Amino acid sequence: MTLTTEERRRQFETEALPHLDAVFRYAHALTGDAMRAEDLTQETMLKALRAWHQFERGSNARAWLLTILRNTFINEYRRQQHHGETVDLAAIEPYHVFEDVQDVDPEGRFFASIVDDEVLHAIRALPEEFRDVLLLSDVEGFPYADIAQMLDLPIGTVKSRLFRARHALQHTLYDYAVEMGYVKRRTS
Amino acid sequence: MSDAPHSLDCREAIERLYEYLDQELTPDVRQEVERHLRMCGKCHQHFEFEQAFLRFLEARARGRGAGPEVKRRVLEQLFGTEDR
Repeated sequence: MTLTTEERRRQFETEALPHLDAVFRYAHALTGDAMRAEDLTQETMLKALRAWHQFERGSNARAWLLTILRNTFINEYRRQQHHGETVDLAAIEPYHVFEDVQDVDPEGRFFASIVDDEVLHAIRALPEEFRDVLLLSDVEGFPYADIAQMLDLPIGTVKSRLFRARHALQHTLYDYAVEMGYVKRRTS
Repeated sequence: MSDAPHSLDCREAIERLYEYLDQELTPDVRQEVERHLRMCGKCHQHFEFEQAFLRFLEARARGRGAGPEVKRRVLEQLFGTEDR
């Protein structure tokens, strides 16, 4: 059954447009720049509208849109992007930040002092495979099974990448908080 | 087969920490974790720390939705281009 332009537009407005915030947010996290995020959002939404006949009604429209976004980013934007510093995961000590702060700030109050830009910067500095799972889980709230499907990965890989991504990010933000004097590093 | 619940040690509980917080555990494993947390103050504190971290992350990284101007431009481009 072929949809008329009007029907397609109506369906798209009802099912896809409510996710515009999520699309922009994900685009911003990937590009690190509001203007590039807007371009990527526009391109994603345009591709989605054109491919609307391929969307399975009743399935997860947000997951579908973010998959289009991610593929667009990988194919077109990443090539041009300058890669700055990255976190060397092998260099991360295999301990939990909690071990370090349990005596001085066991509730993790120091996190509240860290500004949003620093958080986004730290997320973008994660290696891509770790950033992907972290954004989809911790920002967008998808369950492991959905992330596995979106990224075409086994669930076990999603789990281990998420674990490592959170650790890496926690260490980066902890180091920043220590540097800024928000929390004292345990010296013993 | 014994009905006695398996008792997790600290290492086993910490290994399941994120799956617990992400609500990805089966009900029986979830209960095992909760049983351990009731008995172990340190792990309980550790879980709360990690939960605070995840809440912080969600709140801080979610702040940037598309503003009204961005939405307007996206819609204009979207249907303007399509209708031509």
